[in-house]
Amino acid sequence: MKTTADAVIIGGGITGCATAFELARNGMKNVVLLEKEYLASGATGRCGAGVRQQFGTRINCLMSKASVELFENLNDYLGFDGDIEFNQGGYLLLAHSEATMAQFAKNVALENSLGIPARLCTPEEAKEIVPHLNTEGLVGASFCAEDGHLNPFKVTQAYAEAAQRLGVEVRKFTEATGLIMEGGRVAGVRTAAGDLATPLVLNATGSHAPLIAKTAGVDLPIIGERHQILVTEPVAPLQKPMVISFQYGVYCQQTPHGSFIMGVGDPHEPKGFDQGHSWDFLHRVAEKIAWLLPPLAGIRIVRQWSGIYDLTEDNQPVLDEAPAGCGHFIAAGFSGHGFMLGPTVGRIMAAKMLGQTPPIDVSALNLGRFARRELVLEPSVV
Amino acid sequence: MRIQDHPILDFSKGRKVRFWFEDRELEGYEGEPIAAALHAAGVRVLSESPVRHRPRGFFCAIGNCSSCLMTVDGRPNVRVCVEALHEGMRVQKQRGGRGDLA
Repeated sequence: MKTTADAVIIGGGITGCATAFELARNGMKNVVLLEKEYLASGATGRCGAGVRQQFGTRINCLMSKASVELFENLNDYLGFDGDIEFNQGGYLLLAHSEATMAQFAKNVALENSLGIPARLCTPEEAKEIVPHLNTEGLVGASFCAEDGHLNPFKVTQAYAEAAQRLGVEVRKFTEATGLIMEGGRVAGVRTAAGDLATPLVLNATGSHAPLIAKTAGVDLPIIGERHQILVTEPVAPLQKPMVISFQYGVYCQQTPHGSFIMGVGDPHEPKGFDQGHSWDFLHRVAEKIAWLLPPLAGIRIVRQWSGIYDLTEDNQPVLDEAPAGCGHFIAAGFSGHGFMLGPTVGRIMAAKMLGQTPPIDVSALNLGRFARRELVLEPSVV
Repeated sequence: MRIQDHPILDFSKGRKVRFWFEDRELEGYEGEPIAAALHAAGVRVLSESPVRHRPRGFFCAIGNCSSCLMTVDGRPNVRVCVEALHEGMRVQKQRGGRGDLA
């Protein structure tokens, strides 16, 4: 087994797998990816799997637009013999207050200026898009037909297999316990199966990123927060778009298989690394969805689970090298929208690690912004 | 086909009732599993696989396997092997194994 690598990726979710692939695609020969469990076992495989370009900040619009373009051709791009199940049925964002609608109007103006084909809808138009929607109390909506959802396990597998074909070594069930620092620079990674010497590391471990960063002497202000989700029995295709309400913190989509996947936010969810789930969530999400999408009232629930958001103060990730020039790169803190940004973040982080100019300027997402109070607050998140 | 004599079990049949399978009117006994009535009437294909539309028939008979999911009186995904038959029921196969939400 290798004991040295040109770069080590810590974390086998979409961010880690996409970056490993992009590094190899750009000619890096000796890349090792470490995953403490199985691929997509963390936030990637537990998420709602939506992909949207409707955001309130320019940087998220740009990153998600580039991601959608990659997702559209990802099977070919990665030479995947399966299907990532990209369903571009759109995202219908609901506004149940004038304030939310005013925010949507600002967002749509920004999105349109960047070439994202989102539009504002009246409640009647929203009902034309999703006929079974209950429009009671609805002020309006924002819709983008290019948005959608896909299968996060297949996407991660597609990236990992493509990376492996280019020579990346994927070590599953191998936990990285920390970094080895020498003279202020990364010299290696400690793993449960021995040390691995490397000058370059990507910390793509979601809510666990502060634990790795700490071993490089970096204080990373990311907090884990549990979010719950459930899946229903499959029924015939009924709903093409993802339906989401920021106000009620609820979202709901139907997978190509026919199952509905849905979740609802709860400000009282535990912080930290709890991946359990609660009876209370089941009640809350059932009540909200039965009201919002009435035909779903009779559907049976198959299973519920949870994942951990890697939350930052401005709901934006840290895409940075810290301390500067030390070889420890961070791509974490996605605050619930990391999966959809994955393909773009992979390109950005690979470019940064290779000393190239990233395809999108993400310098605003540096680590120092929290201390300097230069937050890039994203208003449109659940 | 029905088992008439069983070494251990007694069958106490309910009254004869009529029900609908797709566009056919069939007979069965009230309270018996819908799947039993369908089987007695010669119906062997209850559902189909979601991708290749291969036939799916009576399999586990105890409500576990999902092989017999059908739409009954407009309710999708009913396990007909453990659902009692009643007069006038409408039993339908599900395209691609998935029924419509009422």
